Amino acid sequence: MMNRPRSRWSAPLALVTGSALLLLAACSGQAGIDPAEVDVPTPLPEGINFEPDISTAEADDSCDPLASYDPGSITAEQAREQLDSDDHISIGISQSTNLMGYRDPVTNQLEGFDIEIAEAIITELLGADAQITWVPMTSREREDAVNNDRVDMVVRTMTMNCGRWENVEFSTEYYSAGQRLLVPKDAGIESAEELTADQTVCTGESSTSPSNIAAVTEAQPVTVPDFNDCLVLLQQGTVDAVSTDETILAGMAIQDPTIEVVGEPFSDEPYGIAFQKGNTDLARYVNGVLADMRSDGRWQDIYDKWLAPRLGDATPPAAKYQD
Amino acid sequence: MTVQSPPAPTQAPTPTAAPGAAPGRRQRFARVQAALRQTPGQLRGILVVLVVLIIGAGVTGMTAVLAKSAVIEETTTQSGRLSVAALQLYQALSQADATAASSYLTAGGSSQTTRDTYQEAMRDATVALTTASGQVETAADAQLVAELNARLPVYTGLVETARSYNRLGEPIGATYQKQASTLMRTEVLPRADELQHNALDQLSESRSSAQAFPWITAGLAALALVVLVWAQMWLSRKTNRVFNLGLVGATVMLALFSGWLAMAALASATHTERSHEDGAIPLELLAEAHIATQQARAEESLVLIARGEDSAAEERYAAQMETLMGSGGLFDRLEAEYGDDPEISDALTAAAEAASAWSSGHDAVIKLATEGQYTDAVEMAVGEEDDSLTNSFNTLNAQLTEATDVSADRFDQATADARRSLAGAAAGLATLALLALISAAVGIQMRVSEYHA
Repeated sequence: MMNRPRSRWSAPLALVTGSALLLLAACSGQAGIDPAEVDVPTPLPEGINFEPDISTAEADDSCDPLASYDPGSITAEQAREQLDSDDHISIGISQSTNLMGYRDPVTNQLEGFDIEIAEAIITELLGADAQITWVPMTSREREDAVNNDRVDMVVRTMTMNCGRWENVEFSTEYYSAGQRLLVPKDAGIESAEELTADQTVCTGESSTSPSNIAAVTEAQPVTVPDFNDCLVLLQQGTVDAVSTDETILAGMAIQDPTIEVVGEPFSDEPYGIAFQKGNTDLARYVNGVLADMRSDGRWQDIYDKWLAPRLGDATPPAAKYQD
Repeated sequence: MTVQSPPAPTQAPTPTAAPGAAPGRRQRFARVQAALRQTPGQLRGILVVLVVLIIGAGVTGMTAVLAKSAVIEETTTQSGRLSVAALQLYQALSQADATAASSYLTAGGSSQTTRDTYQEAMRDATVALTTASGQVETAADAQLVAELNARLPVYTGLVETARSYNRLGEPIGATYQKQASTLMRTEVLPRADELQHNALDQLSESRSSAQAFPWITAGLAALALVVLVWAQMWLSRKTNRVFNLGLVGATVMLALFSGWLAMAALASATHTERSHEDGAIPLELLAEAHIATQQARAEESLVLIARGEDSAAEERYAAQMETLMGSGGLFDRLEAEYGDDPEISDALTAAAEAASAWSSGHDAVIKLATEGQYTDAVEMAVGEEDDSLTNSFNTLNAQLTEATDVSADRFDQATADARRSLAGAAAGLATLALLALISAAVGIQMRVSEYHA
């Protein structure tokens, strides 16, 4: 058929086809609407930034962020005088940082490394039947919360640095964290250095993470207001890796057997407990409790329970005093 | 048309004359002029004028009425159904989101009722979207429907992922639930809203054309009446006979025609206006109130899902409640318009009371949550006790639904009345015009024939 260019029927056929097409065109021109073109919808968290500012702030080394106050001979009695009440204390925590401070969705109990550190301190300070008010807060609220008397102390993955020392008092370092990388197990990525320029790394906004990432890899940092969004974006394949404090990454890795924490830490994030500026007595007392916990194995027990399974063995960070 | 059957001699030469030939045309014009100087010719001239006027009035009247019924039909079908479907879609989606978020908080203990509510809301949303997609008439609306369709499965996927993680006790479920609500709030609801506004715009265009008075028809009919009366006076002077039965009949028919036309047009306009004032406007306000309620509930749940660590959600909750209860807000506007309406004022008052109970309860919940009594806060927010927010929220919804049902009935009633006022008008007007035409033709033809006898 195809080899015969002009059959007996070709002219009438063309005519019929032509008019049918015309008719079709006329009809569809009136009634039909062109099929809509729709992009594949990608759910994104509000406030995601694919090109965050990664300018590195001048490292502030005007102080030694690890140096806190020597416990000396301060007693629990003296420390309690700093509180509003003898048997009641308010602690600023996170309820949404898995493994560190979070509320178990099933039991509704507060659990985690930060929580147990705080509980151990409170037991020393106020006894076992102390009334505790756990005040959930965002990381941005932490400094105001202690200074406005909303809470007596904050135990919430808070990195000690010279800028924060200006506004609050810190305890000695109770956990030595660092920024690491969370990737899918089958991605074959061993460390941050292996990431390429067309890969993306998700991290929380308003932290030093984006510039820390930029310092060790060519990959593009992507920031979100809540770092938990990073895990969802990694699971959805929107980003290639997540980078933030290893403690937080461990809390993510435990929720998904197909992802893992890799590489060496590429930043120092010494965690400290924050107190109201000027409230050195409470800081001194807590440093004393921390020193006991380091030596009598309580710190080790808490670490082994919450973080060791994901981050490996570790020993308590040494205390450092400024006076 | 049969109305042209009485052969008018003035028209007779037309087919034989050479078309466009100037001398022929001048000749014909002269002949017409000559004929018009004689009474039979004059009578035929009058008939021609009457035929033109009556046909004009009949045809335009019929078209106007048919157009009106089509428009009224449209408000209850096409864009009417599109706007209703878009509104249902918006409402169902808001409800689905509010239920998904609040049931996340009750975790493993999520009751069968809330699960059913979520699934019913999703079903309502997809059915409404299907209806809407069958009704869209513009490319922009078709695009919106397609975009909505593409997003719904993504939304439900996120909700189910959140549920699974929640069952496993993994906190990341909360983030999935939050992402689902973000998708709903920023991508889905604005599109449903836009679809609804497009439909409402089309509806109000239709309404103003349904309310327009058929001035052309009225003018033609009036002119025909004047010519008829003048012709009868002129004839009775010429022939010393008081009545020409044909022309009297035509006059009566035409008077009936005008009366029916005016009545039908005015009645349908009044009913259409009523359907708008008592139906469409409160329906829209109530729907907005419903939606604000659902969205406030979703935001409230998100605050708790984020464990009190999401101040943005709390702000969005406050904004929705302001829309609802603020001064000049939806309740104020409903109260101002329908506060003295016995059928819905009770429901409106009860709804406003439930809303303020909810609002003060919410403040207590937030206080509990920020002071560390998270479990109590959740229990008060989504529990089933009498003083729980669930209770106030449900009451608020039920009262709004009651007021909505009344308004919807009124809308249907008024639209049905408008349609009834036009029932048979097209056929009736056409018949009357035809009868007037025949009467006039017969009456004049009888006179003319007297001259030939």
